[in-house]
Amino acid sequence: MQYIILSILFPIVAGLYLLIRKESENRKTLLLCTGTFLIISAVLVIMALCLAGGGMFTLFNLTDKLPIIFKIDEVSVLFSVMTIIIFLCAGFFSFEYMKHEEKEKRYYGFYLIVLGVLIALCFAGNLITFYLFFEMLTLSSMPLVLHNGSREAIMAGLKYLFYSLCGAYMALFGLYFVERYGNTLTFSAGGVISEQAASAHGGILLLVAFLMLLGFGVKAGMFPMHAWLPAAHPVAPAPASAVLSAVIVKAGVLAIIRVVYYIFGSSFLKGTWVQTTWMILILLTIFMGSMLAYREPVMKKRLAYSTVSQLSYILFGLAVMDAGSVTGGLLHVLCHGFIKAALFLCAGAIIYMTGKTRVEEFRGIGKEMPLLLWCYTIVSLGLIGIPPTGGFVSKWYLAQGALSSGIPVFDWLGPVILLVSALLTAGYLLPVTIKGFFPGADYDYNSLRKKEPSALMTIPVLILTILSVAIGLFPGAVVQYLSQMIEKII
Amino acid sequence: MDFIQNFPFFSIILSMFSGIISSILPGKAAKRLNTAVIFVAGLLSLILLIYLIGTGSSYTYMMGHFPAPWGNEIRAGILEAGMALFFCIIMLLSLFGGRKKLNEEVEEGKHNLYYILMDLMLSSLLALIYTNDLFTAYVFVEINTIAACGLIMIRQNGRTIEAAVRYMIMSLLGSGMLLMGICMLYDLTGHLLMSNISEQVALLAASGEYRIPLLVTIALMSVGLAIKSALFPFHAWLPDAYGYSTVSSAAILSSLVSKGYIFLLIKIIYRVIGFEIFDNSRIIDVLFVFGLMGMIFGSLSAIKENDIRRMIAYSSVAQIGYIYMGIGMGTAAGMAASVFHILSHAATKSLLFIAAIGLTDVSGGSRKFVDLTGAAYRNKWAGVAFTVGSLSMVGVPLFSGFISKLLFAQAAVQNNGKMLPALIVLGISTILNAIYFMKTVIRIYTPANGTGSCVTFRSMKLYAVTLVCFIVLNIILGVSSQPVVDLIEQGLAMFS
Repeated sequence: MQYIILSILFPIVAGLYLLIRKESENRKTLLLCTGTFLIISAVLVIMALCLAGGGMFTLFNLTDKLPIIFKIDEVSVLFSVMTIIIFLCAGFFSFEYMKHEEKEKRYYGFYLIVLGVLIALCFAGNLITFYLFFEMLTLSSMPLVLHNGSREAIMAGLKYLFYSLCGAYMALFGLYFVERYGNTLTFSAGGVISEQAASAHGGILLLVAFLMLLGFGVKAGMFPMHAWLPAAHPVAPAPASAVLSAVIVKAGVLAIIRVVYYIFGSSFLKGTWVQTTWMILILLTIFMGSMLAYREPVMKKRLAYSTVSQLSYILFGLAVMDAGSVTGGLLHVLCHGFIKAALFLCAGAIIYMTGKTRVEEFRGIGKEMPLLLWCYTIVSLGLIGIPPTGGFVSKWYLAQGALSSGIPVFDWLGPVILLVSALLTAGYLLPVTIKGFFPGADYDYNSLRKKEPSALMTIPVLILTILSVAIGLFPGAVVQYLSQMIEKII
Repeated sequence: MDFIQNFPFFSIILSMFSGIISSILPGKAAKRLNTAVIFVAGLLSLILLIYLIGTGSSYTYMMGHFPAPWGNEIRAGILEAGMALFFCIIMLLSLFGGRKKLNEEVEEGKHNLYYILMDLMLSSLLALIYTNDLFTAYVFVEINTIAACGLIMIRQNGRTIEAAVRYMIMSLLGSGMLLMGICMLYDLTGHLLMSNISEQVALLAASGEYRIPLLVTIALMSVGLAIKSALFPFHAWLPDAYGYSTVSSAAILSSLVSKGYIFLLIKIIYRVIGFEIFDNSRIIDVLFVFGLMGMIFGSLSAIKENDIRRMIAYSSVAQIGYIYMGIGMGTAAGMAASVFHILSHAATKSLLFIAAIGLTDVSGGSRKFVDLTGAAYRNKWAGVAFTVGSLSMVGVPLFSGFISKLLFAQAAVQNNGKMLPALIVLGISTILNAIYFMKTVIRIYTPANGTGSCVTFRSMKLYAVTLVCFIVLNIILGVSSQPVVDLIEQGLAMFS
């Protein structure tokens, strides 16, 4: 019990401490503090996962019917492990990267707070707790977007804020109804809507479910509320973009998992107009995101559009509501997390070493920093879905699940769009590799200088790359773990 | 009769007499007397509240033991005592927070006048809360209006005098309508005591006689009090009155004065007209619609505003709209939500006013947004307090604003007819609130180029402590709201 609280509170308190402590000249002490805090947080989370058990833990009661509850289940484990790994990697990466940015103290402060809030989201045991930390996540991650204080950043931050608040309010709207018609607000596998309420108030409950999907979908960049994501993610410092794009958007995915499988229940939503409309939106998002990424010349923006598209892969798996597709979706949560973090860190390292931001400037970059570009290439292949990387396995399950689901039209349309989008993914990621390693005949090899970044930058990227490949090589254990959980919820 | 039952009377008379005594005291002594009186009144209310929770029922208190048709009565229940306690706390904190500014803005010779007005304000608020007699209520409404005008005008410049005149005109229109309503009610029933009127009104409604005059009476009283509490189309006096007066006055006007009238309206609904009869009249729908419009238009005006004080003032219009929306739902849950919002808005809005003054002070006294850039770094306490207030206004969980929104929504979900408009407008209003409050928060936390003067804790101890108290109050209301909501529900049950 106390481990759960500690693992949530420690990063938040540590972050607040960094924010209020005096600005010191000595950069090393700040880094030392942050590093220690990050490692302690990771240890605490792991202790919480190992020792807390499956019990529920009530922190306090907001009102009589609305307790703040924490609980650890399989979904929590999946998301919290991913969160902590990526936060550690991106954190150590920023020790080098943030050298050329100002206001480091503020950055690390909010970085830690966001970590704490994300862990709380993973452990949240009911809808109100989830909503509470969902709002906090928006507020605490906004300073990361606003970091450089330029006009562009502030406009992007405001856009982020308003989209997120609109979404959160739509979700809150649902909370009121679930509180009235559901048995409880506590997440329970299979849903909390009783048969009786489902038949008596089916229409309004479906509408509410749709609103909640749209509302939480904002965070996951789902069409038509995706516009904030390509604006907000690229303006943040690269390691912050990495956690924004790899982890923070997953809070939206987590929310949707909770809403669909733990509040409404897949049996309630299967075959309704909600499922159909939702899938149409998702497929639109997948295609549109890839298309926009393909046309985008600025590297970080291209990656942000790619996030829009890839997140909807996950959502597609969830929307099909078939055991195979859900496995694929959850696997893709992990793969996309590691891959997208690695991609953003690569883009960051390139910006840090050369100052180049546009794809056409990346000529010969592979000659200057070969190790980094190799990592980039490997994770790109993963995102496209080429074996033996993780992306292949997750997409395999996704397509297989969709084909066997028996939903008319979507059972073949889904995999087709996944394939088209995979081609587009190759189209927007691989040109960097090609231009990087094969600069062409007129490239001036004499001016070439090695610019490989320092170990603090390459090692995190390397770790993430290895992880993304490892999932592809040994998916068995993860899949088995997931299938246990999926049995309960479907 | 227990001795404690005298306490409402004591606190009213105490504050009134201290006002009279203050007129011959120098400013400093008047200040101390005023602080002591508010403190004592709060303490008496607290004891009364505990006593009433113990007995579990309300009581009426005959002034001078004259029985019903001739005598004047006071009535106290949990809701009244709790409200009195809360008003005293907010008043004390608002005065503490604005004390330094008051010394700067108001000339030395007028200090004792200010505290006289404040004593009168307190006594009239307490009387509005406790009275069981409609005519007494009217008398104290007038005293309240005059004291409020004085509080606006005490900081002498052109804008405040204009604001006070506007306030006076609108307010007198409102009290005129209230008076007409009371006269008609007296005509119809022959009584002025609330309990007697309500018996007669119930008979009238049952017999179906005088339907139209009764409806007109309800309309006159509701609209009269709505004008006085700045419900949407009647809010034109508000931004100037709250925006230019000295900060303690602004905080007290926005968080207590308008709420006193709303409390009187709630009392009239329950104790004079009867909840059922009020619910069946069309007036309740009018209040509901005006409330909804206020929620949107108040926020829209606030977005357009370029002056932080006036922005906060316009946000009051929206928040008053919330309260009337709750009243307009015509359910006990809606009413409880409204009463809770009275508390939560009072705690938040006075916090915002007091924090804003700290921010403008470190920005060369300018209230324009451009000049406020980076103000939160120059006055850290005010920056944090303003952020907390804004988050509460936007309705982020853990702060009081979220609980009021939750209660409103829960009430709306139970009312099938008004559910959809209420929830949709609640949503739009939340987002509009977020637009202007978050814009301000980002602005004050954007680092400025020129480094202005930073203020330290040492130079503003009282101010900082006040802010901390307000923040704590806000968080208490947000985190452990259940006991408060229970008390409100018990108190409302005692009304009928």
